[in-house]
Amino acid sequence: MTLQAVPIAPSGPAPSLFKRNPPIAGEAEAIESAKAGDAEAFSKLYALHKRRVYTLCLRMLGNVSEAEDMTQEAFLHLFRKIGSFRGESAFSTWLHRLTVNLVLMQLRKKGLQLVSLEETISPTDEDSPKRDFGSRDPQLTGSVDRVTLERAVAALPPGYRMVFVLHDVEGYEHNEIATMLECSTGNSKSQLHKARLKLRELLRQNGQSSQPAVLKEAAQ
Amino acid sequence: MTQNDQNLSAPISCADFQERLPDLFASGSNGVPDDLTLQHHLDTCENCANLVRDLQYIADQARMLLEPAEEEPSPGVWANIQSKLSAELAIPELPLTPKLQTD
Ligand SMILES: [Zn+2]
Repeated sequence: MTLQAVPIAPSGPAPSLFKRNPPIAGEAEAIESAKAGDAEAFSKLYALHKRRVYTLCLRMLGNVSEAEDMTQEAFLHLFRKIGSFRGESAFSTWLHRLTVNLVLMQLRKKGLQLVSLEETISPTDEDSPKRDFGSRDPQLTGSVDRVTLERAVAALPPGYRMVFVLHDVEGYEHNEIATMLECSTGNSKSQLHKARLKLRELLRQNGQSSQPAVLKEAAQ
Repeated sequence: MTQNDQNLSAPISCADFQERLPDLFASGSNGVPDDLTLQHHLDTCENCANLVRDLQYIADQARMLLEPAEEEPSPGVWANIQSKLSAELAIPELPLTPKLQTD
């Protein structure tokens, strides 16, 4: 039997190429005013970016109260440093990088060993994705909506989730992630792969049972 | 006999194929693996082809998560930012609630 050829690379543009940060109306003016200390401009920038920053923190930390604390820190940091924003990158790119760095710093302070990802990330065999050498489950394609995927991501072990969010959602390259997490690029690649395998497993369970496994795991 | 012929004459297992996947996904090649052994396995193994399609699908779908979710930080977060900034920067009045429109 000959099957239709499947390209191995992702069908869409590379993560670094997709349009992550389209300009937001009024943002440039607000940035300039904020640099001059305009209080209204600060609140506008907060209103424009709070959801994305909070969601990023929540995905990286997996905890609402910590995510709110880090959102607060990120914006305080932003407002203190806004004078150094030169516009070389999109403002949201700059803000997200600042947020990621703050969250990682916080996690290191708490003693989370980001370097030895292999151990911290996959603590139990149960959490490790299964090898797939011959299952006959239906394909996922077309079956996963945003809410379902979000729940599955929340159910990932923390280290898998970290690399998945940074690479597949935020669009960072493996070499950037390796620098941020102080690990090798090979480690980043393999963690991402395991994260996607684990997601596939979670999403398949979700599609098959009336009591979604993803919901059960996420609720814990 | 070329290198590729040799590769094709020694087909790889699913385990070997899947071992190579993390690097293949990271390589960003434009859809066609330069390794004919891998492409041959992909063309002839339904299981691995499904796996690759699902993983591509997950990576594609992940991008929709970048758009802001419905959840947002509680109002207390802005209140804290406001009071800290006012103190630090001696800004007289930050608005009580963030506004999307400036007057
Ligand atoms: Zn196979």
